[in-house]
Amino acid sequence: MNSTAQKLETATPIDTSCYADVTEAIGKEAVRILSDGTVTAVVGYKAGRRAGTAMPAIVTDPAKATELIFSPACVNNLALYLTKAKKDVVKKGRVAIVAKGCDMRALAGLMGESQIKREDVFIIGVVCAGVKGSGAGNGEPLTTGNIARKCRECTVHTPEGAGLIAGTLPSPPQLTPVEAEEMARLGAMTPAERWAFWKEHFSRCVRCMACRQVCPFCYCEQCLCDKNRPQAVESTPRPAGNMAWHIVRAMHLAGRCAGCAECERVCPMDIPLNLLNRKMAMEMKELYAFEAGLAPQEKGPLTEYKDNDDQSFIK
Amino acid sequence: MHETKEKHDFEPKIVAFVCTWCTYAGADLAGTSRMQYPANVRVLKFPCTGRIDPVFILRAFQRGADGVLVSGCHPGDCHYMAGNLHARRRFAAFRGLLDFVGVDLARLQFSWVSAAEGGKWVEVVTELTERIRVMGPMDEFKALETEECWSGVLATPELQEAYNNI
Repeated sequence: MNSTAQKLETATPIDTSCYADVTEAIGKEAVRILSDGTVTAVVGYKAGRRAGTAMPAIVTDPAKATELIFSPACVNNLALYLTKAKKDVVKKGRVAIVAKGCDMRALAGLMGESQIKREDVFIIGVVCAGVKGSGAGNGEPLTTGNIARKCRECTVHTPEGAGLIAGTLPSPPQLTPVEAEEMARLGAMTPAERWAFWKEHFSRCVRCMACRQVCPFCYCEQCLCDKNRPQAVESTPRPAGNMAWHIVRAMHLAGRCAGCAECERVCPMDIPLNLLNRKMAMEMKELYAFEAGLAPQEKGPLTEYKDNDDQSFIK
Repeated sequence: MHETKEKHDFEPKIVAFVCTWCTYAGADLAGTSRMQYPANVRVLKFPCTGRIDPVFILRAFQRGADGVLVSGCHPGDCHYMAGNLHARRRFAAFRGLLDFVGVDLARLQFSWVSAAEGGKWVEVVTELTERIRVMGPMDEFKALETEECWSGVLATPELQEAYNNI
């Protein structure tokens, strides 16, 4: 669904010349920090087995550091590998991580929640003109037609606050904000229409929990939705449990979500999960002037309060 | 002695999540003062509104509640200093989410009722019950409960194309 909506537009190629410079800069920096012992491992991307693909990689040997790449296929948010949910993946010690702007927001969020310490992480920030969305073929170049939905409204092409910024960005093209338009369309619907919209989407959910696995903020060791005594959310893929799971997921990410849209990317059933996250982000901005940013914030909007918070809805 | 009770076609089920320090005591006061209010409300006592998880509200709707009331201490009166103030933010966010998913927010009422406000408790409960009586039963979540199977569409053009290519 996501891909068809975008292909309606005539696709023009996006300037991806910066990716080669970025790859070179990452390689150089990785060799340097691994060989002088600044870090014990670098979490980055390396080329996948098929041409035009990429996969997450953890490099500990300086000789292999030049395998690290950056390309429009580097879609993953690597911040995930630094959370306690993936604590077995990266061995102890200071690690470096390759992070796009959106990934750096997740890192900042995790630092704000005391999940990682700034001094334990060496951030190799990369400039990013955008990554491919769902439905883009491996061999295809990045175009305005196959770019990921989140990248169409990106505000962090060049991240700040990293240990190093690799590459320089050509001016990104102006893209239509597909997701913002979808939000506006949903906002204009009646509640009954919205219910029908979400019921249809959630009814497809197979509860593979990929959205939970891939989310950097879903690091709880015991998820509320896995508990069955008492059971809070039904765990079988039935409509009632699906609706509850997605509401609970959005609620637990409210004021925390960094907007990396990984949940939506990994969803095998193409459920537009990022719309829920965006809605919560909008609420947080409107009510408490909170926005997920590149600087760690000590308190999230739902972990603090003010005496004059809005209570017009309370009798 | 007894007033003759009016007969209604629909008696809504209302679940009230209340804090033990203020609203529960307020409801108790209403009872000991012999005030009359609709018997549609089922009161569940919690230590604090801060303990009331949005999941409880969802669960209530799924299990057949037609309306939910969440009530606790006025701001500044919380027994645990700020539980109700945290809850205030959480429920503001949760309302936004429910609205986005398409739930009618008129079925969900929040209120501050102190231990001295037996009259306010009666007023809040009566108003909510009458409102929901007019709105009728909450069918959305109940319909989901009774739906058994996965209702994904298997006849999408993409799948058809993939099938043709086999």
